[in-house]
Amino acid sequence: MTFTRRKFLRTVGASALVGSTCGLTPSMFSAQAASISGYKAMVCLFLYGGLDSHDMLIPYDQDSYNSYSTVRQSMINQYAGGSRSRSNLLALQTGSASNLGGMQMALPPEMAGVKTLFDSGDAAFVSNVGPLIEPVTKSSFENGAALPPRLFSHNDQQATWQASAPEGAQEGWGGLFADAILDAGGNSGAETFTNITVAESGPFLIGRQAFPYQIGFRGPASVDALEELGSNDISAEEADFFNRLKQSFIAQNFNSGHVLELDMANALRGAFDANDKFASAASNAQTVTTPFGGDPVSSQLKAVADTIALRDVLGTNRQIFFIALGGFDTHDAQAATLPARLKMINDGVSSFSNAMKELGLNDSVTLFTATDFGRTLAVNGDGTDHGWGGHQMVVGGAVKGREIYGTMPEAKLNHDQDSGGGRLIPTLSVEQYAAPLGSWFGLGPSELTTALPRLGNFDAGPGFI
Amino acid sequence: MKRQLSTGLVATIFAASILLISDVGWQPKQAFAQDVEAENYSYFANRRRTARFLTQATFGPKWSEINALTGTSASEWFVNQTNLSTNYALDIIEEYRETYETEEDEINDLIAGSRNSAWWRNAIEGQDQLRQRMAYALSQIIVVSDLPEAVETFPQAVGYVQDIFARHAFGNYRDILEEVTYSPMMGFYLTYLGNEKADPETGRMPDENYARELMQLFTVGLVELKGDGEPKLDLDGNPIELYTNADITGLARVFTGLDFAEEPRTEDIEEVRPDVWALPMAIYPDLHSPEAKSFLGITIPAGTSAADSIDMTLDRLMSHRNIGPFVARQLIQRFTTSNPVPGYVKRVARAFNQGRYVLPDGTEVGTSEKGDLMATLAAVLFDGQNRLGGAWRKSDYGKVREPVIRLTNWARMFNADAENPEYAPELFSLGEISALSQRPYGARSVFNFYRPGYVPPATLAGARDMTVPEMQLVNATSIPGYINIIGEYIFREEADEEFLEELQEEFDESDIDVDEAKAKTTLVPDYSALHSFAMDNAALIKRLNAMLLYSTMSEATKSNIENALEHEFFEEFEDEEVLDEKVRHAVWLIMTSPDYLIQR
Repeated sequence: MTFTRRKFLRTVGASALVGSTCGLTPSMFSAQAASISGYKAMVCLFLYGGLDSHDMLIPYDQDSYNSYSTVRQSMINQYAGGSRSRSNLLALQTGSASNLGGMQMALPPEMAGVKTLFDSGDAAFVSNVGPLIEPVTKSSFENGAALPPRLFSHNDQQATWQASAPEGAQEGWGGLFADAILDAGGNSGAETFTNITVAESGPFLIGRQAFPYQIGFRGPASVDALEELGSNDISAEEADFFNRLKQSFIAQNFNSGHVLELDMANALRGAFDANDKFASAASNAQTVTTPFGGDPVSSQLKAVADTIALRDVLGTNRQIFFIALGGFDTHDAQAATLPARLKMINDGVSSFSNAMKELGLNDSVTLFTATDFGRTLAVNGDGTDHGWGGHQMVVGGAVKGREIYGTMPEAKLNHDQDSGGGRLIPTLSVEQYAAPLGSWFGLGPSELTTALPRLGNFDAGPGFI
Repeated sequence: MKRQLSTGLVATIFAASILLISDVGWQPKQAFAQDVEAENYSYFANRRRTARFLTQATFGPKWSEINALTGTSASEWFVNQTNLSTNYALDIIEEYRETYETEEDEINDLIAGSRNSAWWRNAIEGQDQLRQRMAYALSQIIVVSDLPEAVETFPQAVGYVQDIFARHAFGNYRDILEEVTYSPMMGFYLTYLGNEKADPETGRMPDENYARELMQLFTVGLVELKGDGEPKLDLDGNPIELYTNADITGLARVFTGLDFAEEPRTEDIEEVRPDVWALPMAIYPDLHSPEAKSFLGITIPAGTSAADSIDMTLDRLMSHRNIGPFVARQLIQRFTTSNPVPGYVKRVARAFNQGRYVLPDGTEVGTSEKGDLMATLAAVLFDGQNRLGGAWRKSDYGKVREPVIRLTNWARMFNADAENPEYAPELFSLGEISALSQRPYGARSVFNFYRPGYVPPATLAGARDMTVPEMQLVNATSIPGYINIIGEYIFREEADEEFLEELQEEFDESDIDVDEAKAKTTLVPDYSALHSFAMDNAALIKRLNAMLLYSTMSEATKSNIENALEHEFFEEFEDEEVLDEKVRHAVWLIMTSPDYLIQR
């Protein structure tokens, strides 16, 4: 028995939060209310840094484009291959649910796959969404309307998008949606795998019961030295030794009067339990065969697709996933960096859509984007600064696609939704964006209000799903 | 009679701080000489206390240090540490260039990685432990990261910032802010390098990135704080925001007109001469905003130069009431406890504000200027809250050990040589979604590896609304990841032929021959002193408990480790290899236990 250096191969995986469901706080939902029939999953693609959606969903009709390019000309010139020149844009034909006030919108060339999904009715955009306390107009904005705290601040607006409050918020709407499902008896016996993150996640997936389970690109992590535990190739003596090591790793019988020590011991135990269970399920199921690229969005969505493929073995019927891409804080070099990132989204989402079709779940899985905030329409040289509202994308067979929902702001400065520098005052709140997703996921009206406390301050919003 | 009464009072205060009946700070000036002496010597009164203090104040105690310092004065140790000569990263980066440069100006992996090498060498081998540890703490408040690919080949970029923190670790926070503001790395990282004044014709506005983070993350935060770091509330019970976006756009004008000292307006940043990254940025007056700059209640008049505007800005931020408690609370979190009581924050903030602190032996440290970090750090370490007796009895005092410091702790305790960290290539790969989840100067964003306000959900700590920043790194992937990587080090042996070949393959890319002697010893632990204990499980555990846990191991952990060591694999007592293997397992199981992962 020698443990050499080579026994300790490095483990690759992402980091964020421990997966386990611990009911330390009581549930907010009454039992058996949410609908849990069939299988449904939501996938949140969070774009860290604040996506400049002005350069993603771009004005296309000649007047609007001229107006946009007047403000942004210096940066448009910096895009390689003229990707923001009008002649290279992919114009979107929208249906009857879109009311763009005469405008036409387009996608940049690196989003051709999303354009295809849009055209086939599997994708839609929701315009000018952002955190609000109540509906805000420019005049109420200037006259003391109630505004979300700490606008334009990354960490606080990430938290507000995910959990309706600035940094420190503990419960996100993804977590509270999951709580409603768990209260209704969903995922019985597989509660741990209700909310799953492949990325560094914030509060989005945390509820009172639900808690995100962290996986890596290739599924759950494991202790290399215990690799052979459970295999028939080792002697009883070896198995006994590995079990003793494991007992120590899970802090068996650990007790302490110290809060942090107990939390750590719980985390150790919870991680081993969940990883073992997931790994055992994975060994009994097939992964998807749809090819995915190697970029971070594709890699994460491949891990999501492979996990969804395990749904019957794991025993899950409602799941919420969190994946993320960083690098959107384009204060500078926006033209050099944004297209590559939008292409990752394009490629990942296209493959994921194919994978869901392969699993026969196109109508059962909905992906949506979220981000810190939109950005200024004004340019700071070669980039843009922190804004507020922005355009979001929803993808899946259940989406009423080929539409751009909401109210599209004019492509100029100083209009009625401009709070300054082209920072958009949102015309739709995060609640109005989240509620249709929750409703589709199975939540009833009272559960939605519990998960989205400010929902009642707004009208119903567009039914994009 | 009078004397007895006073002594009694001191004794009462002492007892109160032990039992933590109330939140009482240590007041050495009021004590009599013999009490001062007793107090002073109490920090290093026995090995247990010495080990705990050094665990908090350094990158991990060495057993020889614990033995040598026990019975001596902690105040003297503190002052001696501040007088040791500083180990600078740029010196080491230059040494690496000289050693590994094969062609002039050719940058290979070993040179590119030299700022990592410099960090690990200084943390593990440096005599100036207190300084290096303080520099590392500061680097987690004022954050730059070499994650952006553009600076990968410029070790000087981050190295220059590392040295700012090291140079001023016991200096003044204002000096750090100023030097960092002018550093090309911060200019690049928060995108004000080459930032220009507004252009009304195109609608171009100054970049707001640094203006925002300088206030929010580096100096005053977002909401008004009381002297004890708790948010001040308005009549409706809501926190009071310090500024609006108008303050940000106003302040953004200050950080215009700064660019590389010798190669301004560089289109391709990767073409910049490496040494320019180690020079302060220069001011290009034509590009600086001539407008008035208003923020936080002051207006810098129109036409003020960039240098004066920056001075006035930093003076304004230093004069703000928030900065003391804002910095104090985060420094406490980095050294001693994640969720300090308000009184502790208040006392450390007072040391920051007043710029002085009286050490337990009566020595006054600090310059009496606001922002003095020697006084602030002394206040963090010597506060009554942090005394072993009292803190130990609290059910929520302490912190999750930072993953990086677990590794340095191991290397120092078991004398693993870190003069040439490039011979342990794993140290450089830690940044890539790593097992340690942490790499010095390699955070994923300016928000560091974790947030000071992080309250871990669905935990007992969360139910008490405790902030526990490092818990943000704990998850189902990082837990096995840490067990793997720390095991990889604990079980590391002298390099064999196969490892040397692998290493040579990596070095071949830089066209460098592996130095076998260095490869053989780098980060290889020496457990030989423990072999004599390893014959007896209880004795081995007792010694390692003293070395790694200052003798605080729980019964359950002891029993779990004993159970593993009792296995028949370890029965061959007379075999040195078996004894060594046993020691390694014991170290591994301790360093993965809740007892170790939480520093109390």
